[in-house]
Amino acid sequence: MQGAWQVFLKELRDALRDRRTLLMVLLSSVALGPLLLVALSVLVADFEARAEARTLYTVGLDGAPTLANYIARQAWTVHPAPEGHEQALVARQFEHPVLVVPPEFERDLADGIAPELLLLSSSANQRAEGSAGSVAALLQGFNQEQAGLRLALRGVAPQALQVLKVQRRDLGGSRAGAAQFMRLLPFFVLMAVLYGALHAALDTTAGERERGSLEPLLMTPQPRWALVLGKWGAVAAMGMGVAVLACAGFLPGQWLLRSEALAAMFQYGLRELGLFLAVLLPAAAALAALLMAVAIRSRSFKEAQAGTTVVVLGASLLPMLTSFNGGGEQPWHLWLPVLAQVTLMQRVLEGGALGAVDLLLPVVVAALLTAACLADVARQLRGAAWR
Amino acid sequence: MITVEGLAKQFSQGSGRQRRVVPAVQAVDFTARDACITGLLGPNGAGKTTTLRMIAGLLRPDAGRITVGGIDVALKPQAVQARLGVLSDARGLSPRLTARENIVYYGRLHGLDRDRAEARAEALAGVLEMAPLLDRRTEGFSQGERMKTALARALVHDPSHIVLDEPTNGLDVLATRSLRAALRRLRDEAGKCIVFSSHIMQEVERLCDHVVVVAGGRTVADGSVPALLAQTGQDDFEACFVQLAFGPTAVGGAA
Repeated sequence: MQGAWQVFLKELRDALRDRRTLLMVLLSSVALGPLLLVALSVLVADFEARAEARTLYTVGLDGAPTLANYIARQAWTVHPAPEGHEQALVARQFEHPVLVVPPEFERDLADGIAPELLLLSSSANQRAEGSAGSVAALLQGFNQEQAGLRLALRGVAPQALQVLKVQRRDLGGSRAGAAQFMRLLPFFVLMAVLYGALHAALDTTAGERERGSLEPLLMTPQPRWALVLGKWGAVAAMGMGVAVLACAGFLPGQWLLRSEALAAMFQYGLRELGLFLAVLLPAAAALAALLMAVAIRSRSFKEAQAGTTVVVLGASLLPMLTSFNGGGEQPWHLWLPVLAQVTLMQRVLEGGALGAVDLLLPVVVAALLTAACLADVARQLRGAAWR
Repeated sequence: MITVEGLAKQFSQGSGRQRRVVPAVQAVDFTARDACITGLLGPNGAGKTTTLRMIAGLLRPDAGRITVGGIDVALKPQAVQARLGVLSDARGLSPRLTARENIVYYGRLHGLDRDRAEARAEALAGVLEMAPLLDRRTEGFSQGERMKTALARALVHDPSHIVLDEPTNGLDVLATRSLRAALRRLRDEAGKCIVFSSHIMQEVERLCDHVVVVAGGRTVADGSVPALLAQTGQDDFEACFVQLAFGPTAVGGAA
């Protein structure tokens, strides 16, 4: 065990002295949480501001005083649409829908002919599309008011046209709503852990082989498992360090939330931090071993980088299985590394139940994967020195 | 003492129909005594490096037996590795560690405590004339500086047996002379058993007490330099080596 400890200390010191790589990894992992939260909160705050703004851009509303009166009574602010708004909407340079009122609106309305309004938007312009719904609802309100007045003039109760009432209730709760926005967070945290361990995994295996320092190491009286254990310990420590920093980064990151609604919904305290780490640390250990097992087969650092791209790609694609598959969370998701971690972190953010079995199953899978990969690295190590 | 008896090793290259077997070592035998520098002399591809890797326990021989200090390498490889100091063909260092840290790391892996490993690093730096290098990171070291650090790393645990694979490759004349002096001191003052592989005649002639000529994976002759000269009837050691390694007809070739 003394030999494994010496190898661990040396590899860790070596990795920590690689200042440039370390700086990039630390910056990206420490800044990851706050940056993601700020970006999401800016996005959500913008949507909230638009929903509350009640601003309408129109063409020809001056010729429709009845409609203008209704809009003013609903406390909407009306602005004339800018020149060339159609092109600007398509090019996403103007992000509000535009209501075009025909010149004969008032006359048609008086004659009982339904005037045809035009609501301009673009499906490629997400923000304009988002606001188009509320403008349509506004016009629907005008429609109902006018219809109600006409029925009342004829002595018919407006309720005669209303045969049913619809009430909407969101069963997801506030935290589930926040999780919609936060769906990306677990994925980014996991990728940060993977990248945190990647460089050290390559350097301790293919890097050692390329610079010719693996052969002298194998000629010391240390058993292979001690060498592998020490190297893996250092690589896993790098990944785990990034996991701790990235997860802890969400705590101060919350203070930067600009959206009040999002801040109220995103509940991330010490309990959530603990659960994130319980999920991530075994995964960091398994990913470290997996990266080493792939890299030890390569003759050079560059070749190993190409080899480990497959691992990175696999880790990026696995969480997408749920999107392709549909049907929500399945029991087998917890058996697949990466997907299990993303699923569980997602559940933590949504405030869902997390049992001991849910936590233990991915730990057991990670432990088995780690053991298998380390045994493979030990088997490959001797041949790798002179091949 | 190191004894090598009937050593053989072959490698397979390629796969499927392209697969072919390459015999690297076919019949190498020699004995390297204590307090003696034994030279393993042979042309490129003669099987010297493979033989040394088998002595160091890195490769398992297909046939034959190797003992180091009376211990069978096949039976107790780790006990042999604890007694061996090997400067192999691959002499890479950790570039972000200082020379001292590189040497002490190997001392610790050989079971030395920190103080003892530090003391050995200092002592070897004196012997190998590399004291000013000790606290510099090894990235950017010259070939000679790298070789000295790798040699100090191989000797940090004060091994009774030393195996050096073409140690003067890439060294300038001063560094080569310094290395030769260091090896003589290790032989004369500490009574080490030193095995030294090379394909440079002058180096073997000047340094080795006993020479083993290897060609085509086989031991073709062994003895002291004067004995080998007498055996071939040559005055020049280079001509002697060419005759032993490639046959009498090759001696008359381009000189």
